[in-house]
Amino acid sequence: MESNRTFLTQLQILTKRLLLRVIRRPLAELPNIFISAFFLFVYDGALGGVFGGSAQGTPFDFANGNFVNFILPVSIVSASVSGGASGIYLVEDIESGVFKRYQSMPISKWAIILAPMLVGALRVLLQAGLIMVIGKIIGADPAVGAVGYFMVLSIAFLWGMGFAGYSVAAGVRSGSSQGAQAASFLFFPALFLAPTFVPREALRGWLATASAYNPTTYVIEAMRAIMVDGWINDIIFKGFIAAGSFAALTLTFAVLSARKATEKA
Amino acid sequence: MLAVDVKNIKKTFTSKQDTVEAVKDVSFQVKQGEIFGLLGPNGAGKSTTILMLTTLLSITDGKASILGIDVETQEKQVREKIGVALQDTGIDNLLTSKELFFTTCRLWGYNKSDSEKRTEELLELVGLTEAADRRVKTYSGGMKRRLDLGLSLVHSPEILFLDEPTTGLDPGSRRVLWDEIKRLRDTGVTVILTTQYLEEADELADRIAIIDEGLVVAEGTSDELKASIGGDVITFLFETEEDIIKAQQVLTDSVQEKMELRITVEDGASKIPGYLKELTSAGIEVSSVSASKPTLDDVFLEVTGYRLEGSEEPVEETPTTTRGR
Repeated sequence: MESNRTFLTQLQILTKRLLLRVIRRPLAELPNIFISAFFLFVYDGALGGVFGGSAQGTPFDFANGNFVNFILPVSIVSASVSGGASGIYLVEDIESGVFKRYQSMPISKWAIILAPMLVGALRVLLQAGLIMVIGKIIGADPAVGAVGYFMVLSIAFLWGMGFAGYSVAAGVRSGSSQGAQAASFLFFPALFLAPTFVPREALRGWLATASAYNPTTYVIEAMRAIMVDGWINDIIFKGFIAAGSFAALTLTFAVLSARKATEKA
Repeated sequence: MLAVDVKNIKKTFTSKQDTVEAVKDVSFQVKQGEIFGLLGPNGAGKSTTILMLTTLLSITDGKASILGIDVETQEKQVREKIGVALQDTGIDNLLTSKELFFTTCRLWGYNKSDSEKRTEELLELVGLTEAADRRVKTYSGGMKRRLDLGLSLVHSPEILFLDEPTTGLDPGSRRVLWDEIKRLRDTGVTVILTTQYLEEADELADRIAIIDEGLVVAEGTSDELKASIGGDVITFLFETEEDIIKAQQVLTDSVQEKMELRITVEDGASKIPGYLKELTSAGIEVSSVSASKPTLDDVFLEVTGYRLEGSEEPVEETPTTTRGR
């Protein structure tokens, strides 16, 4: 046997095992992709006519003539929630006894916990990437050029990691896959208490206030700046900070929760 | 050197609501190359003991070592030496057994080519070569248990812990697993297994510790345990409760189970006529009577007061019965 059983090797092996699980359940990937694509088509179909090219020169011209560019970030944020499956992967391993088997082996417990988060992040990249391809097909065209796709994907990755950390924490704390799944309901207020359909300036009353405190707002605004307006650096920066902070916060929460859950009774 | 040395270990679980003493005081020693059985009913503390010895639970009090390595302070070194197959088979049902063996080999530090070689060896060992490329969810219970056993053998452990390895298996699958465990013992592997099946302990274990309510209540080889209760077991069967109550006045050392009274005496067969005469004189009708050598079942009844399989209820005893604790 090799003497160098490193953390990274263990993480790689455990991640590969979970990826095999994802591949073996392709149908589990479909609902979230379907919902995200559905959002894109329905919103573009329902609102694109009003806020798209025909709005040019009117007060409703916030999409710069291309409503797909404006609404694509909403679908990508929706797709990035697929990172929330991480908690389910971990809890499934706890429920099936796989987690305990690994604990009885000389494996780093952090590798056991980080592997599902990494798989969640890869899932986000895959789903957000697919939504971007669909967006491109129906007319998306980033204002900053092709590099915009990469930047939007980067923000989506961070945002998805945030959901991955959150779901892992919820999963290990609840101890059930239902608990991890139920935690994904956070996504709905996060997505809709934000400038989902119109810019923040057009929101009013309590929704305007709520959206100012919702980090999703800054993520969507950064993606929109990249897609619609071009290099508005402070808005893009705020988006990265919001997504990165969310990821850092929930990953810390996940690590603390997992540490407690893996302590010997 | 002893394979396993357990000295007065205790495990207490404390929650906001209450405190549960799952293991009150357990001590035993296991020599290298033997099969040691922990026999007891559900909730006796067998699995908790195994979880402590495999470093998965902390020990509240007492000491335990594996091949001289302290279980509490040298977890990592202990894990290198042991293989573990717990009650809940920790198997990923979406993968094939070949993938599971390969992944486990890699996690134990084998390189890719050695992992492939070891995978083939282990598949052959547990008789799963034919099914190697099928997803585990299509396996029978017996195949899953064999796979579980194989996964615990990847790193050729010196000591193997098996927690109720045959629970839920049909007799045929159980026999296959027994043969495999014996074969492992014959290659020098020390096996510590828990079971709630008397037959399994009798057939497999070189030595047995009977655990009840978190305590070891008897320990020895199967023959030693049977000999410890002394003589033969005479079983009297009665038709009515009234006869049993009256018979208990005559058979003062008897243990009742349902409509039977059992008594352990030297040279049982020769004493039956005398007992029958006494019972008949007292106006008690005996339906049948038989004498037999004690079984592990009798030992369990003697030391715990109830039968392991069948009735969950404690057996009523005549007041004069001596408990074996």
